[in-house]
Amino acid sequence: MEQLKLPPIDYGALLPMLILFGAACLGVLVEVVVPRRARNAVQLSLALLSVVASLVAVVLERGTRTITIGGAVAVDGPTLFLQGSILVLGGVSLMLIGERSIERGGVFVSQAAVTAGSQKDAQQAGGQPGATEVYPLSVFALGGMLLFVAANDLLTMFVALEVFSLPLYLLCALARRRRLLSQEAALKYFLLGSYASAFFLFGVAFIYGFAGGIQLSVVHEAVANPQRSQVLLYVGLGMVAIGLLFKAALAPFHVWTPDVYQGAPTPVTAFMAACTKVAAFGALLRVLYVAFEGVRWDFQPVLGGIAVLTMFVGAVLAVTQTDLKRLLAYSSIANAGYLMVGVLALNDEGLSSTMFYLVAYGFSVLAAFAIISLVRDPDGEATHLSKWAGIGRKSPLLAGIFTFILLAFAGIPLTSGFTSKFAVFGAAVEGGQTWLVIFGVITSMLLAFPYLRVVVLMWLSEPGESTPAVSIPGFLTSAVLGLGVLVTVALGVVPAPLIDLTREAAQFVR
Amino acid sequence: MTVADVLLLALGAVAVGAGVLVVTSAHLVRSGLYLVVSLGAMAGLYLVLGAELVAWVQILVYVGAVVVLLLFAVMLTRAPIGPSTDLDRPALPAVLIGGGAGLGLAALFADAFRWTFYAMPEPGTAERVGEQIFGGWVLPFEVLSILLLSALVGAIVLSRPDIGARAAATATEHERGA
Repeated sequence: MEQLKLPPIDYGALLPMLILFGAACLGVLVEVVVPRRARNAVQLSLALLSVVASLVAVVLERGTRTITIGGAVAVDGPTLFLQGSILVLGGVSLMLIGERSIERGGVFVSQAAVTAGSQKDAQQAGGQPGATEVYPLSVFALGGMLLFVAANDLLTMFVALEVFSLPLYLLCALARRRRLLSQEAALKYFLLGSYASAFFLFGVAFIYGFAGGIQLSVVHEAVANPQRSQVLLYVGLGMVAIGLLFKAALAPFHVWTPDVYQGAPTPVTAFMAACTKVAAFGALLRVLYVAFEGVRWDFQPVLGGIAVLTMFVGAVLAVTQTDLKRLLAYSSIANAGYLMVGVLALNDEGLSSTMFYLVAYGFSVLAAFAIISLVRDPDGEATHLSKWAGIGRKSPLLAGIFTFILLAFAGIPLTSGFTSKFAVFGAAVEGGQTWLVIFGVITSMLLAFPYLRVVVLMWLSEPGESTPAVSIPGFLTSAVLGLGVLVTVALGVVPAPLIDLTREAAQFVR
Repeated sequence: MTVADVLLLALGAVAVGAGVLVVTSAHLVRSGLYLVVSLGAMAGLYLVLGAELVAWVQILVYVGAVVVLLLFAVMLTRAPIGPSTDLDRPALPAVLIGGGAGLGLAALFADAFRWTFYAMPEPGTAERVGEQIFGGWVLPFEVLSILLLSALVGAIVLSRPDIGARAAATATEHERGA
C-alpha cells in the first residue's frame, strides 16, 4: 500500500493566502458569535486587519522565488507584486464596502434570493441593517485572487477561479436599491461565468491530453518538444484563453460586463473593476508567459485581434451610453484592451508595464466608483447621465475630483492614466507590435470623447430641479477618494519608484 | 479488428444514436429513457476500456440517480404522457450548433490522434482505487468528507428558518406563561 506522503510546503510563501482564508472562516464564525449591533465594526476591522496582515506577509516574503506544495503554487516576482496590488486595492475596496453612513443600513441587503418586489424584499430594502456576510465573502474572494495569480498548475488555477468567482456572484445580488437589476446581474454573471469556467476546464483537459500534465512547466516542455498532435494544444490554449478572457472582460467575451457593473452594488462594482482585473490579467500573464511561450508567434496575432476588437468595442459603445456605471463598464472593457496590448508585448517590459497599468487603473477606478456612490436622489444612486447635469455648480469639489479622474482615464499628462498608457504602448513598440499601438492611440482619442462629454455636462449645464444631492462622504469613502486621487497624481508625476518595483519583479519562475 | 474494437464501435454507435433520439423525441418520458440507454452504453465503453469502477459509478450515479430524478421531476410536475409539441423550438439552429460542435470535436480528436496506439493501462479495479483513496489520499478524503457533512448540515439549517423561529416562539410563550 502506498504510504501517505505530504509534499514539502513552504508555509511562509503561502502565508498571505492562509491569513485571508483563515480570517474569512473566522468572519463566518463572527456572524454567529458576535451580537448584531457590534457585528459590522468587528467584521470590518477583522477584514481590514487580515488584509493588512496578509500585505505584511507579502512584503516580508518579497525575496522569495520558489515553487511549493507539490508544484501547485509558484511564488515569484510577478506573484508577489500582483498579490500586493490585489491586497492594497482590495483593502481600499473593503473601505468602500464598509461605508455605512451614506445610506441607512448600508448599501447591502441581507438576503440575496428574496423575490424582488415582494413584501419581504421591500422590508429588507427599507431600512433593515444589511448583511455583514459581505466581509467574509470579500475576503474569500481576495484569497482566491491571491491563489489565482500564484497558481502554477491549471487545476489549482481553476479552483482559485471558482473560489474568487462564487463570492462575487453572490455579492452582485445584494444591492439595496433596484433589487431586480441586481439579481439579474448576479444571475447573468453566474450563468455566463459557469459557461466560461466550463470552457476553461475543457481546455485544461485538452492541454492535459497534449502535454500529459497540467503543471505549467510540464506544458512548457511539451510545447517545446511536442509528442502529440499540435491540434490539441491549440484548441486547449484557445479554450483556456476564453475562460481567462471572460474574467478579464475582453471582447467578444465582455457582454456581461455592463449589466453586471450596473446592477451590482457600487462598492462591489469597484471591487470587481479593480481587483478582478488584476487577478485575471495576472493569471493570463502567467499562462501565456510561462506555459505557452513556445507558441507565442501563433497566439500573438489572434490575441492581438481580440485586443483591437476590445479597444474598439469599449470605446465606441462607451460613446453611446447614458448611464454612468455602464459608461465606466465600457471604459473598463477598453482598458482591458490596452492591458492586453501590454501583455502581448511578450517581453519583460510588457510584463512590468502591464502590472504598473493594473495598479494605476485600479486606484483611479476605485475613486470613480466612490464618487458615483455619493451622488444620490431619493431612489438611490443617480447614475443616469442627465441627472449629473450642472453638478459642478452644486458641489464643485466633488465634480472637480471626478473631472480629474475622468481626465486621468482619458490619459492626460501628469496623471497615472498617461504614464501607464505610455508604458504599455512603449513596451508593445519595443516588442514589435506597432500595429496594436496605432489602434490603441486611435481608440484612446475616441474614448476621450465620452469622458469629456461627462465633464462638459457637469460644468457647463445648468443644474435642474432633478439634480441630485451629493451625500457628505463618511470617513471611509473620503479616505478612498483621497487615496485614489493621491495615487493617480503620484503615479503621473513620479512613476519611477513603482516602475522600478515592477521591473525588479518582472521575472517568472518555471 | 479485435473484439474490443468491435465492442467499442458498437457501443459508441448505440450511445450516439440514443443521444440523437433523446433530443429528437417529442415524448418527454421517452427522452429520459433514451438517456438511460445512451448513458448505459457509455458505461459499457468504460467497461471495455478496463475502467471497472468508473463504469459502475456511471451506472449508479447517472443511470440510477440522475435519470430517475429526471423522471420523478417529470412525474411530479405535469406528467405529459403524449408527445409535447409545445416544447419544441426551431430545430435548425440547434442542429447547426449541436451537430457542428459534435462533428468538430470528433474531427478534432480523429485528427489529433490519427492511428496512434496506446498500450492499455492496468485495469482500474475498485480494489486499486480503494487502495489509493484510503492509502495515499486518506487525509484529503477525510477532510472532504467532513467538509461535505458540514455543508449538508448547514444547508438543512439554512433551508429551515422555522428551526430558530420555533425556539423563539416557545420562549415568548414561556414568558407569557410566567
